[in-house]
Amino acid sequence: MSSNISGNAYALTILSPIKDGFTQDEIAYADIVRDRLQGWNAEHNSPMALVPQTYLCRYFVLDDVYLESLPGGSAIDTLVDWLPFVPDTLRRWAWPKEDHLKSRYLVFSCNFHGGPKADLDGYLRGMWNAIGDRIKEIWGYCHGFDQVDNADKFIDYMKKCQLTATLFFVGSNDDPLEEQLKALYLKQEFAKFAIDNQGLDAATVKTNFQAFVDRVRPSELDGPTWKAGAYRVDELVELKKNKG
Amino acid sequence: MTKQLDLLDIQGNILRAYGRFGYPVARYVFLNVRNTAKGREFVGEITKKVTTSVEWGDGPGKIKQPDRTVNIAFTYQGLKDLGVPISSLVGFSPEFASGMKGRKDILGDDGPSSPEHWDPIWRGNRETREKDVHIFISLNALAGQGLDWLTVAEKNRDDAYAWLLDEINKTEGGVVLLDGHLGDDDANLNYQDVRVVLDNNGVPTPKEHFGYTDGISDPVFEGVPYDERRVKGRGKQMPGGTWAPLATGEFLLGHVDEAKEYPPAPEPILLSRNGTYMIYRKLHENVATFDRYLEEQGSKFPGGKALLAAKFVGRWPDTGVPLVKAPDAASNAKFGAQLLSLNAALNAAQKKGDKESVKSNEQAIDDILSDFTYDDDMSGAKCPFSSHIRRINPRASLEMMNEEGDKPGSFKVSKDAFDTPGALANRRRLLRRGLPYGEVKDRTRDDGNHGIVIMMVNADINRQFEFVQQQWVNYGNDFKAGNDKEIILGNHSMDDNFPSKAVIEADPDSDQPPYILSKIPRLVVTRGGDYFFIPSMTALRMIAQGVIDPT
Repeated sequence: MSSNISGNAYALTILSPIKDGFTQDEIAYADIVRDRLQGWNAEHNSPMALVPQTYLCRYFVLDDVYLESLPGGSAIDTLVDWLPFVPDTLRRWAWPKEDHLKSRYLVFSCNFHGGPKADLDGYLRGMWNAIGDRIKEIWGYCHGFDQVDNADKFIDYMKKCQLTATLFFVGSNDDPLEEQLKALYLKQEFAKFAIDNQGLDAATVKTNFQAFVDRVRPSELDGPTWKAGAYRVDELVELKKNKG
Repeated sequence: MTKQLDLLDIQGNILRAYGRFGYPVARYVFLNVRNTAKGREFVGEITKKVTTSVEWGDGPGKIKQPDRTVNIAFTYQGLKDLGVPISSLVGFSPEFASGMKGRKDILGDDGPSSPEHWDPIWRGNRETREKDVHIFISLNALAGQGLDWLTVAEKNRDDAYAWLLDEINKTEGGVVLLDGHLGDDDANLNYQDVRVVLDNNGVPTPKEHFGYTDGISDPVFEGVPYDERRVKGRGKQMPGGTWAPLATGEFLLGHVDEAKEYPPAPEPILLSRNGTYMIYRKLHENVATFDRYLEEQGSKFPGGKALLAAKFVGRWPDTGVPLVKAPDAASNAKFGAQLLSLNAALNAAQKKGDKESVKSNEQAIDDILSDFTYDDDMSGAKCPFSSHIRRINPRASLEMMNEEGDKPGSFKVSKDAFDTPGALANRRRLLRRGLPYGEVKDRTRDDGNHGIVIMMVNADINRQFEFVQQQWVNYGNDFKAGNDKEIILGNHSMDDNFPSKAVIEADPDSDQPPYILSKIPRLVVTRGGDYFFIPSMTALRMIAQGVIDPT
């Protein structure tokens, strides 16, 4: 099993190189991508909340990765350091080498429910279908993305950019998103049930519990539940009202 | 040789909770510096009278206990306006620079606790230069021995205040007394008075206005000569059930802390060493809401109202005995009787001047009140996870685990994960100073002038005070209590849709269900405060002389 799969959970890591250019306003493409991503914070919810089966995800722009070779520590280097007649160019030659990225990257790191077959294609198709326009807004400045205009091409593109990395977020199991949201909803509602019924006699609790089950419908995933991506208190209040 | 602190260099309010040493009355005064030179001169004059930590009594190296104590501290702006150089100022912590008002989101000072509802002095602070709080001066007054104990204390306080006003007047406007403390009937006062709560017969009690005994488990740290015998339950819990004093650097800058590091502190070392940070907070107590909520929940709680009152705090209100020692009324009564006879013996010994007997009786009382752990109460069946004392000082109880196969709600000590029982608590401790203010004149009303002024002392405001406030008082995850808040101090949500709750745990081996406290109202409301720096005597003299030079 691949290292980026854990049970039914899939850890997707995408690195897409951003074109090295700038707009007429002299803003680098990578900076535009970052600005747009930061703009998502100001929206009521992240567009990613609309993408089915997303547990958690994160976007960022990677400006550079700076690597340095080990400094010369061999006997010769040390000797070179000591000897006064060694020319400066030779000394510099022994200095550590630097390595940088060739371009800036858009990084998309995501955990989703891939199911027993680790269905990456299905997830990416769902993402394209749900927020294709928003995807183009972000990936539009990446190398090679101009060719992407449908779900199949998007899947191909993303797979080319995929890195097999084990980036799993803590805070989620590998159940389908609907199961997890329903479970959280039930947990919260059950706590309220416990408060409302503590101290009552067994017969009353039993009757009330039946009413509770009828209301929350534990086995129905599309019954009363939490909406994906809803995290604001006002949204939860809204949900409560809708449930009646 | 054991560590010895330079007691002559450390201000007295850091090492002593004056209330415990016979000072039941105090006045807190806040000043604004208008002229740097005059301000420094003023600080120099006050410094001559500042009370140090030196031992009181007869004998070499000791002084006679003073009738009044004087201590002084500064806000960030205060230090700046007294001319402390910028290269020193940048070494103070960012939260100190930003002040309590700026940290309201971290502290949970929202709704009725938010700064727009604070006393005028704290509303005006950090808004305009002229209203900024720069200097804090505390005057604690020694009580008399006889029936006129309070009159004597109040005279000591008034004398001290008259002296202070005189010193302020001498600055000819260079230092200005700030008003805006709300007193009885919303009177606008230029000081904050505090005093122990009296019982119906006018006898002083160690209680706050809800009726709990306050300030029992103040931390004990290395180098304080008069605390050596008080380490059990107050220091840090060690393997094998023993106790050791906490590292000095948790409470004093310039000393090694529990991580074997020096806490971050400004340069030069003479400015920061033996100094520390103080958090001043005026907290109003909603007594009517408290009584009503206790009544309402106490009528439903299977253990009854008295036990529930104890569960809120983790100690029995009448005796102060911890629930882990006395989980039911009968055992509390037993300890209560013991405490009564010990206190009687202590009083007799004090009258006779029998020092050995005083010591042994004090020790026995202390053992009952402070010497305990949560090791046998890891599931919270005796002392709830959200009770006041467990949240403020969890001792070793956060090293908790529940393994597969254990009963739901059952926790045990995680033996191998930590190198010492206090690993999660030792760096979150706070010295607590301060006294109640005002009187409750009508228990059926929340409003009125009554609450507590709490002053907490620590070496790192963010790591200690703010962490405890944010993570342990207003959130419960570390205690495996979800987002349940501490019952008494929590900034409980009064939102109908998401009301506050807290769980009173039951013994997982019994067939009792846990009891859930629902719709907990806001019992305590912030009325103001700020972060202060308490310099050493050396630093005070340097501030006064304007000779602080970090280069």
